[in-house]
Amino acid sequence: MFPASRFCRQSVALRRWSCRYASTESNASPKTASFGFKTVKEEEKEDLVKNVFDSVATSYDLMNDATSFGVHRLWKDEFVSSLNPGKKRPLKCIDVAGGTGDIALRILDHAREKFADRETTVEVVDINGQMLKEGFKRFKKTMYHNTPQVSFHEANAQALPEAHFRDNTYDLYTIAFGIRNCTSIPSVLEEAYRVLKPGGTFACLEFSKVNNPLMSMLYDQYSFSVIPLLGTILAGDRESYQYLVESIRKFPPQPEFAKMIRDAGFATGKDEDGGAWVDLWGGIACIHKGVKV
Amino acid sequence: MSSSARLLKTALSLIPTHGFTRAALAESVLALPASSQHTAPLSDTAVSALFGEGDDARRTLINAWLAEGISQMGNTPRSARQLEQSSPRPSIGDILHQRLRYNEQALQYLPEAFACLATPSSAMSIMLTPLDPVPAVKHAVKIADEACYVSGDESLQLSWYARRAALAGIYTAAELHQLASPQTAHAFLDSLLASSSNLHHSVAEVGLFGGYVMKSWQGIIRSSGVF
Repeated sequence: MFPASRFCRQSVALRRWSCRYASTESNASPKTASFGFKTVKEEEKEDLVKNVFDSVATSYDLMNDATSFGVHRLWKDEFVSSLNPGKKRPLKCIDVAGGTGDIALRILDHAREKFADRETTVEVVDINGQMLKEGFKRFKKTMYHNTPQVSFHEANAQALPEAHFRDNTYDLYTIAFGIRNCTSIPSVLEEAYRVLKPGGTFACLEFSKVNNPLMSMLYDQYSFSVIPLLGTILAGDRESYQYLVESIRKFPPQPEFAKMIRDAGFATGKDEDGGAWVDLWGGIACIHKGVKV
Repeated sequence: MSSSARLLKTALSLIPTHGFTRAALAESVLALPASSQHTAPLSDTAVSALFGEGDDARRTLINAWLAEGISQMGNTPRSARQLEQSSPRPSIGDILHQRLRYNEQALQYLPEAFACLATPSSAMSIMLTPLDPVPAVKHAVKIADEACYVSGDESLQLSWYARRAALAGIYTAAELHQLASPQTAHAFLDSLLASSSNLHHSVAEVGLFGGYVMKSWQGIIRSSGVF
């Protein structure tokens, strides 16, 4: 249903990651990854995902608002206000897959408006240079441009370069609507764990599983018929939106993803809504959090 | 034990100094064993991530403290009287006294903690019911039930409920008294338990008398030859 706001960013990440690992695993049986409801070889997924994102990139903003009726903005607001950045002290944040700066801008605004905090910083990381360019342009319209509060970096979420992204550096790691497009979610989580300081927080906003049966039925109808149709009308591309809808369904449900977060070493709350995760709109989207203890 | 559960347990030891606050949760990482100790308290973001936003984190801490109180009731030592009678279990009175003693370490923060529990978390619920009585009732019932369990109470059916309801009432009264006057709370509990057992006897006697009257009436009716 609601296509992610940063479609493009993971595509290069996927390519790089696959190249890196394909060489080490060339003798083993080929690893597979899900591409929507299809299963493809890991190294193929990268190109397929890239194609999807290339084709939706130009109209992703329009499509996001059209398919979600603007709700993705509310979710992002909710996501950032639940993190409450700047409450006690300025935070050093990293926003991964954050090319357009949606989350970064909200973090900085929240800290400034609520807590008069101009010391919180965000490093925006994305794999896709084009998306970063969009974000950079957007930030030029704000007071944060050319300040130490924001910086942009092209890097792979699954293998952040250690020279720049050192161990135990950040207070807050955010990733919104990005992790589901990665080939290997555990590698992203491992990297997040590495760069976070002890006591740092990992926060992920992602589409998830709707648990209410009635709502789930309506949601299925909407996302499998209306969204690809809107994709055809507004973006002239049905298949890519079909993939996006399918990829949302293939993403692990809340308890499973919470377990993956714990497996990466994070501490989480209890396995329930309001504990390890918070459902938004009955689970259409979901905020997962973990703390490096 | 998961990391967050370990932090929660550590935070319990900070309640006497920090109260039921988010600060107690944030500072729990400083009180961990040396190998995993942190240099700074947890950020507000991290406390929310692990224990809930705003007052929900405090509720998590309060509930953990109450649960610990329940589990400590099981460690009640037997009183001299119980030892004399060579009873294998502590009496109900011993157990409830032990629970009141557990309150003493955090007594000054308890009114606020109970107020926090009684305040619904969502704005909508506050409009509907400004005060939520359910947590207070649960708290008393859990203590009564645990006291019955630890003391080996074997009442069944109606008396099972009656026993727990009476004890929940007694404990609640004693705890309220403790908040206002900590020195006299134990004596007050004793007096409540004593009058309750008198009441129990009186009720039993009334029951016996009632049964006797009924039987007499049955006898009279039968001998009158109506049936």
